[in-house]
Amino acid sequence: MTEARRYGVLHETLDDIGERTDVSLRCIEHEPEVWESRMQVTCECLSEGGALDNLERRHLEDRLGETVYARFPVQTRSALTVAHTLMDRGFFDEEELRSKMDQVREKMTVD
Amino acid sequence: MANPRFSIGDEVTVRDETTLFHTRTQKFARGRTGVVVEHRPEWVIPEDEAFDRMETGRKEPFYVVRFKQTELWPGYTGQSIDTLESEFSERWLVPA
Amino acid sequence: MTSMHDGHDGHNTFPVSSKVSEFEILELAVRELAIEKGIFSAEDHRRFAEWADGVGPHGGSKLVAKAWSDPAFKEKLLTKGTEACKEVGIDWLQPTGTGTPSDYTFFYVLENTPKVHNVIVCTLCSCYPRPVLGMSPDWYRTPAYRRRMVNRPREVLAEFGLHLPDDVEVRVHDSNQKSRFMVMPMRPDGTEGWSEQELAEIVTRDTMIGVALPDPKVRVPVPAGEVHQ
Repeated sequence: MTEARRYGVLHETLDDIGERTDVSLRCIEHEPEVWESRMQVTCECLSEGGALDNLERRHLEDRLGETVYARFPVQTRSALTVAHTLMDRGFFDEEELRSKMDQVREKMTVD
Repeated sequence: MANPRFSIGDEVTVRDETTLFHTRTQKFARGRTGVVVEHRPEWVIPEDEAFDRMETGRKEPFYVVRFKQTELWPGYTGQSIDTLESEFSERWLVPA
Repeated sequence: MTSMHDGHDGHNTFPVSSKVSEFEILELAVRELAIEKGIFSAEDHRRFAEWADGVGPHGGSKLVAKAWSDPAFKEKLLTKGTEACKEVGIDWLQPTGTGTPSDYTFFYVLENTPKVHNVIVCTLCSCYPRPVLGMSPDWYRTPAYRRRMVNRPREVLAEFGLHLPDDVEVRVHDSNQKSRFMVMPMRPDGTEGWSEQELAEIVTRDTMIGVALPDPKVRVPVPAGEVHQ
């Protein structure tokens, strides 16, 4: 298995979310944020559209979540894995994602 | 259902095959023996479904197989009465 | 959060803040790029989101409460799961007409007895009966739960505070195919004469996954009437 690529644009989100602190299953329990539910919806759409099958994504989440993204809280795994994999597969590149995030950030904080 | 090969109560062993294809047969169950406890409706096998062949994919009966946990995990630390159930398509099962 | 986790000191990493988080931004950016690239449409996403917002564990709670109160319904629930769901307003074919890609429509309810305790897991991915229980909790999707529930179920249950007697069979259901499962816990003592609505309030999500037992002292609100989808 080849080593996973490192995408700076994804690693930079760690400061904001904070390091993973859960130590047991029960500690991971939390009320999902809106973005988490929306991310699951995106996962369904990607699976239905054939871009990233749900089972395959779960395996990637396990692998990436315990390696490159081991410091991130568990609830971020789908978002990181989806972004990471769509870049690996060439649907968009790191620069496109970065500029889209800038655009979204501006849109969401302007009001 | 079109003549399922196994009946409820039959002892079956899960084939111990590695596969390059999309499968939903867990590694821990392969080569293990359990008892058929229920039939499930025929469905397209996951090996074909993964290639989006829902219309043309091969359909097979599915079975619920119950294993003793001590059969699955040699060092099982729970109670000997504990069990695990999972489902398998017919091609993954052979008579025990 | 279910109230059975009260008293837990918590290690959540989410500070309450009105600031837009980087993950909100990442989620929206990925979604917008996927739409721009034509992987799916905004309409696809909206349709699934609307459906996901409408489901929670209340449907499951109502099913169990009704089965506890009505033996004929219980029989139907145990033998024709998807049909019985329609009586509380749950249609497994929503939102696409064929279910969601990861929730196909074979639904089976697992009845706990004094001798058998059922618990559900999906070791391969994280299959979950979403039409009746809503979105799965984070821990259900972690490798720590998925890998250990199959080979060390009693230890994992103990971590959830559930200690079962040695003579109760722990039966783990690994949903590896197209079936989805939900546990029907036993009705606890001390609930004699309760209405369906009162009973539904003690049938929490975790009791239907199988990592907890209903407790008459622990109630969570359940909206009355049919489940809105």
